[in-house]
Amino acid sequence: MTRTRRSGSPSRSRDAPAAWLFLAPSLAGVTAFLVLPILVVIWLSLNKWDLLAPMTFVGVDNWIDVLTTPTLGHSMLITVTFVVMVIPMQTALGLLMALLLSRGLPGSGLLRVIYVIPWVCAPLALGVVWKWIFAPYGGALNAVLGGNVEWLSNPDLALPVVAAVSIWSQVGYVTLFFVAGLAGIPPQITEAAAIDGAGPWQSLWRVQLPLLGPTLFFVLVTGVISSFQAFDQIYALTPNGGPQGATDVIATRIYFQAFGGAFDIGRASVMAIVLFIVLIIVTVLQQRFFAKRVVYDLS
Amino acid sequence: MTSPDPRPDRSLPVPPAWERARRRLPSTIVVYVVLLAGALLTLAPFVLSLMTALKTTGQFASTPALSLPNPVTGDNFARLFAEHGFTSPIAVTAQVVAVVLVGQLFFSILAAFAFARLEFIGRDVVFWIYLATMMVPQVVTVIPLYVMFTEIGLRNTFWALILPFMFGSPYAVFLLREYFRGIPEDLVAAARIDGASTWQILWLIIVPLSRPIIATLTVITVVTHWNNFMWPLIITTGPDWQVITVATAALQGQYNANWTLVMAATTLAMAPLLILFAAFQRTIVNSISLTGFK
Amino acid sequence: MSNLTRRSLLTTAAAGGLAMGLAACSPAQKENENPGGDPSSSTSGGNAVTGKVTVRLWDEQVQKAYDESFAALADKNPGLEVTTVLVPWADYFTKLRTDVGSGTGDDIFMMNSSYLEPYVTNELVMPIGDDFADLRDGWIEPAIEQYTTDEVLYGVPQLSDGGIGVYYNEELLANAGITSDEVDQLNWGGDSDTYIELAQRLTQDADGNWGDESAFNGSKPAIWGSSAAQDLQGIYYNFLGSAGGDFQDADGRFTFATPEGETAFGYLVDLINKYQVAPAASNTNDNGDFVRDQFLQGKVAMFQSGIYNLKNVADGAKFKWGIAHIPAGTAGRVSVVNNVIVCGNAATKNEAATIEVLRWLGSDEGASYIGKSGAALPAVTGAQQSFSDFWGEQSIDPSIFAEQGREKSIGAPSGANYGAAVAAFKPHFDEMFLGRTPVAEALAAGQEAANKAIED
Repeated sequence: MTRTRRSGSPSRSRDAPAAWLFLAPSLAGVTAFLVLPILVVIWLSLNKWDLLAPMTFVGVDNWIDVLTTPTLGHSMLITVTFVVMVIPMQTALGLLMALLLSRGLPGSGLLRVIYVIPWVCAPLALGVVWKWIFAPYGGALNAVLGGNVEWLSNPDLALPVVAAVSIWSQVGYVTLFFVAGLAGIPPQITEAAAIDGAGPWQSLWRVQLPLLGPTLFFVLVTGVISSFQAFDQIYALTPNGGPQGATDVIATRIYFQAFGGAFDIGRASVMAIVLFIVLIIVTVLQQRFFAKRVVYDLS
Repeated sequence: MTSPDPRPDRSLPVPPAWERARRRLPSTIVVYVVLLAGALLTLAPFVLSLMTALKTTGQFASTPALSLPNPVTGDNFARLFAEHGFTSPIAVTAQVVAVVLVGQLFFSILAAFAFARLEFIGRDVVFWIYLATMMVPQVVTVIPLYVMFTEIGLRNTFWALILPFMFGSPYAVFLLREYFRGIPEDLVAAARIDGASTWQILWLIIVPLSRPIIATLTVITVVTHWNNFMWPLIITTGPDWQVITVATAALQGQYNANWTLVMAATTLAMAPLLILFAAFQRTIVNSISLTGFK
Repeated sequence: MSNLTRRSLLTTAAAGGLAMGLAACSPAQKENENPGGDPSSSTSGGNAVTGKVTVRLWDEQVQKAYDESFAALADKNPGLEVTTVLVPWADYFTKLRTDVGSGTGDDIFMMNSSYLEPYVTNELVMPIGDDFADLRDGWIEPAIEQYTTDEVLYGVPQLSDGGIGVYYNEELLANAGITSDEVDQLNWGGDSDTYIELAQRLTQDADGNWGDESAFNGSKPAIWGSSAAQDLQGIYYNFLGSAGGDFQDADGRFTFATPEGETAFGYLVDLINKYQVAPAASNTNDNGDFVRDQFLQGKVAMFQSGIYNLKNVADGAKFKWGIAHIPAGTAGRVSVVNNVIVCGNAATKNEAATIEVLRWLGSDEGASYIGKSGAALPAVTGAQQSFSDFWGEQSIDPSIFAEQGREKSIGAPSGANYGAAVAAFKPHFDEMFLGRTPVAEALAAGQEAANKAIED
């Protein structure tokens, strides 16, 4: 972000009182509901509390316990698997649909609108709808296929199925960003590539994709971060972590650990902090990767 | 990335592509098949769930899942309101959305203006804090927020549903700030010379010029808070302050083999936003992609 | 955040034209903003007690009965205003814990023995002491015993489930040429087993093949003979008890991984997966009401359950039905017997009014509304006649449940962390019922996990 002092900008002393007044409510909100909770959650992670008995300070016991038992590792593995299933697929499908829409065929505008519909709907409600579709008895999918597949209670199928629902609900949203990104590429550039003898594939890989770098970055970063925290749909589709804990992603695990049955606020807080740290690392890595990639491809 | 363009060009590159498409008819057919298959896949769950919601339990049990409702019955919806108290969750959710929307827009505009247009010591540090808090996931804050709201005795109240969100979100402040910075300084300077106060400049010049981004934030806020689930699930109990998503989840938990009733509930939970979406689809679709331009 | 900051923020909000949201209302809120009532009233006693009291429960049928009961109480004592709050069973004990733990729980709440202990340990429920001395003799003894710890009773007995029985669909029996006497005389397990064969004769696939025919295709079910499922109170505790096993020992440790356990659970798993005479566990593992709903739709012939489903069956069944004894195992017919109490919240803001309402619920008259509506058998002896009267008028005889309740029983769930234990063993049971983990292995793993969970 570049900082340039604008000419005609009033002096600091005149602005400051108004600025702080303008900032006060929002700053108070951010402090109370985003900054303070971080401190509180760290403190909670050092205590044992089951919601009923008085809270007792236990030092790093919760940390040792969470980091030495397999539960958190299992949930992290499930979460990463989920992200790996969802992100490449939804990005590729979103890009494909955007490329097709960008051909400007009649009806493209309406189709673009249709694809976004799932984004408007509550993930929880969509989860419940899909739960019915996958229901082994009375569900729509088995009725269509004429089979008797136990989509959500088979430990091998549950996670892919949950990932598929997630992809379904987000492809349209991703498509929109790519449509916007493609529209931002000057047509002269692709035409020039075509004149130079580049086929559609070459044009896509060599010209359009690198120019879509910022869009791709945005889509991937927001997608990865939200998939890491996915809760509503998974909660609706497979309560209690699914068969053999097959869909026990980190967010549902934290919820269960704190409020859904285990009532162990201390350990849940440890898991929450670990998730936070992992997300920070993932974001930084993505940023680095893209910083290099985009420069490389354009050189 | 470059500074924002207040009027992003959203038109599709039509003429050359269309010409080429006409020349290659077979590939056009393939494109349509893929696009229509996508549309069908997107719409099918909605159509199927609505069909189920309009069936009697008897018909649901005795006919295949894909059969059309015959006779069409509004019975499931009537039961939701008469027996399962679905009026209240809708009213509560609507109030939460209204208060959060107004509060979040108002306070975010104030803060974004301060960051974008005013000079004061510590501005960059505070803005950095805002950026950093955008990274804080909701799953991380719900536990401490639960404890905090319990301590101050606001568990299961309307306050608990709105307070964490109504003072603005860092994301909204960020988007608004970027947009405000793109507004030509000359306009502001001219107004100052005419004797306009800072307050007047904000509401009479900056805000009217920022309609697209404010529309975007309105869409995002309404969608996010109508659909919000995890926080209301944790902080409320019982029927008093139940929001629509929590009511739907509870109904599904209680009557989970009664799919006609449950599909009526999901239809109700989604209907208001779908209607809004149908009415404002152009604005909404344009709004979403606007957030990608930072 | 301090009060001061909050108030100043609100002022800002109001100044910003936000006053609209501050008077938000919930249509569901029945003017019980102040559940504690007027504090000045809490010192008075006797009939002059006034105030607002809220009562939380999980059963819709019982809620209707309670509403009538409290209306009658309000006629006698106009100063008392009692409202009921329904929280569905699926969320009941998780929400109760957060509410009571944060000091905002309802004044009175319904309680099941498996979840009581932590509330007692943390002194969150009122001991039922001298205030109730005159009523105590009117409560059924098993209920008092079930909820007494160290000689202190922690709730007013309300509902008695009696034992478990089998609801049967007479039309499905007739179609298969089976009499209700045959259903009433069943044995399961060992050489004298008659249950499997009968269940097979009652089961039919979508093509009309019966369960005992070679063409039978169990993956396309139309009618199930049996309701075997992962249902604690209705099914597996009873089969375990009838095999001579126990779920927990006297100290609350889990002891189901035994030869008896393997017999009982192995039998249930076979009914579901080998003979396919009961719905696949994928339908029932996470859905406690699936079998009941299928029974009501005429798709299950023998539905083994308790008195708690009597009203649902009576209201929902569009066919002729009856009640039979549970099948006998090698140890006879052993059923789980459970009672439900209402607890007083020790942190109530209006103790006198709460005690007054508890006393009303424990009285013959107050409890009679539960019986009158047929919702459940009252655990208050003097109110039980109203229950028999209600069902007598409808020519239904629910005496089998009470009869079974007097027979040998298997200990009901109890212990400090029963909820955590369930969460620990349930994944193993899920797999076992789905037929994916061998019974002995699943029981051993489940038992180990459950015992570890209660030690935490």
